[in-house]
Amino acid sequence: MNETIQLLISGIAQGMIYSLVAFGYNMTYATSRMFNFSNGNFLMLGGVVGYALYMSAKLPFIAMLLGIVLVGLIMGWILYKTSIEPSLQSKSNVAWILATLAFGIILKNSVEVFWSTDDFRFESPLGNTPLRFGTVGVYPQEILIIIVSLLIVVGVEAFKKYSILGKAIVAVSEDKNTASLMGINQHFIILFSFLLASVIACIAGTLVAPITLVSATMGTVLGVKAYAVSIIGGLESGYGVLLGGLIIGVSESLTARFISTGYKDAPGFILLILILLFLPSGIFGKKVIKKV
Amino acid sequence: MKNLTKFCLFSLAIGITSCSSEPKTIKIGVYGPFTGGSAPMGASMRNGVQLAAEEINAAGGINGKKIELVERDDEAKNERGGQVVQELLDKEKCVALLGPINTGVADASTKYAQQKKVPQIINVSAGAKVNDLFKDNPENYIFRIAASDYVQSEMIVREAIDVRKKKKVGILCDDTNYGQGGRDKMEKALATRNLKAATTGKFKVKDTDMTPQLQEAKKAGVEVLLCYGIGPELAAIANSMEKIGWKVPMIGSWTLSMNNFINNATKNGDGATMPQTFIELGATNPKAVKFLEDYHKKFNENPIAVAVAAAQGYDSMNLLKAAIEQAQGTNGAKIKAALEDLQKPFEGVTSTYNKPFSKTDHEAIKEANVTMGVVGGGRYHS
Repeated sequence: MNETIQLLISGIAQGMIYSLVAFGYNMTYATSRMFNFSNGNFLMLGGVVGYALYMSAKLPFIAMLLGIVLVGLIMGWILYKTSIEPSLQSKSNVAWILATLAFGIILKNSVEVFWSTDDFRFESPLGNTPLRFGTVGVYPQEILIIIVSLLIVVGVEAFKKYSILGKAIVAVSEDKNTASLMGINQHFIILFSFLLASVIACIAGTLVAPITLVSATMGTVLGVKAYAVSIIGGLESGYGVLLGGLIIGVSESLTARFISTGYKDAPGFILLILILLFLPSGIFGKKVIKKV
Repeated sequence: MKNLTKFCLFSLAIGITSCSSEPKTIKIGVYGPFTGGSAPMGASMRNGVQLAAEEINAAGGINGKKIELVERDDEAKNERGGQVVQELLDKEKCVALLGPINTGVADASTKYAQQKKVPQIINVSAGAKVNDLFKDNPENYIFRIAASDYVQSEMIVREAIDVRKKKKVGILCDDTNYGQGGRDKMEKALATRNLKAATTGKFKVKDTDMTPQLQEAKKAGVEVLLCYGIGPELAAIANSMEKIGWKVPMIGSWTLSMNNFINNATKNGDGATMPQTFIELGATNPKAVKFLEDYHKKFNENPIAVAVAAAQGYDSMNLLKAAIEQAQGTNGAKIKAALEDLQKPFEGVTSTYNKPFSKTDHEAIKEANVTMGVVGGGRYHS
């Protein structure tokens, strides 16, 4: 029993990490039908800058957090200007995919050249000693990851529902042109969603760093898993992402323990194929009816 | 008319310089992962090679010619390894190759050196095929100065079974060519003692939570974990062990001596034991002391990220120099013959080798050159 609880907790914490990255995809997909394919590398950037400020420069935690938000805003803006805006103007369906992928490669290689290629330990401000509940051990950071992920998703969903700006985002995601006619500056809304997604990814980077270690490659695998999470949950649903993350995270740890470690990624990806076949817009996604 | 004469003289001059086709430098190809997760090993190896090449050039080069290193990044990708080696051989016309790090990359690329009859000294990859290649190529051009997985897995199993008298072992390896090759060889070493692993687990590069694998081992009553992987994931094993409140000794590949294992596992890594060829802390051999001093100064890195890779890289370059000197030229077959029959004993920083290679054995490092290292207090020592 304890063993299963331990596995569940590990799976949930891991799943929340995936959700955080996936949430970045959903955020911008809703407004622009585009997302940053390199969101994993934005997460990495957050982890690396966080490490440089908190571990190397020994700045206080709050100062680091502000630094991270600033970096997220700047990088989000550069990404929008270089990769998204040109695609919006040319109405291209593929340019943004390649542009954001290229942006991520440049980001990763720059970090490798100017920072380091090694893996570093990020000391959690909550300490690195696991809390014990009977024989079940949990890192305080894992609890923090779960709480912060929930707060971010619920917070952003509430923001979309109750604030004017949030409602504008929903309006743009429902119908861009009508929203424009209603006086909403859709380009600003799209820019805003990219900034928000990029800031969330950077914060996620420092949040997961104590568990995943900090390195130029820390976001690569997370980014790929998060694609699956987004598709399973539905690309337009914030809560769907949470569910998708939980499904992938928990199925990984249970499969690894009770079937075989070699197959641990299999159930999640089999589910992905099934969802694509039978529920192409995801578990929580809305049915898309394209009028011709 | 004047211009015509000038033109003729000019073309003559070009003709003369381009006719003297004998290259002025000795081009040596160095390849390994300089970006990506395996980069710390690749970079330390390359730094070791660079240091040796600089010293050789400062002392006048080899047979009066300077060494020119041509470095290529294989990104730890097998197919990329094949490409860069073809480039080093066909375009750059390197006379010898040093590297790489990753087993899969080595196995996908050494065949090109073999085809072109260019000698290659593998200086880090422990799992790459070397002596196994004699079957197909009696004239084998691939050499190694690194503790092969045969040597390592035997020493790991001996430490666990014969020295520490453990009965129940768990095996945990990554799913790369390297990890699975190590698993296979450790299982064979166990089989010679009529033993079988109680559990065999796998993990992926960049995995950070090893709870399921460890719980399986814990349930099976494993008394010692034999691990094959690289630094960060090995650290994840040590950390997950603490998380589930279970601690058994970890014995594994030389990569347990990597800084990114020691720093990321912190106190959870203490006691991890590994076979290795070079210990930075408390080096007494004067050559090694000087090597460390120069390395720390040149690359501003202390301790070295992956000291074993740096030392083997340094030795591989000097070994090649000794062979080229003896061969009196850069003909591949002659360098190979010189490596197989080195007249002077080779004093390296890892060991002193009398006839490191022979016609039938291309492994410089034997069990006698390898000792067990233990992690403790943020470093590894003997």
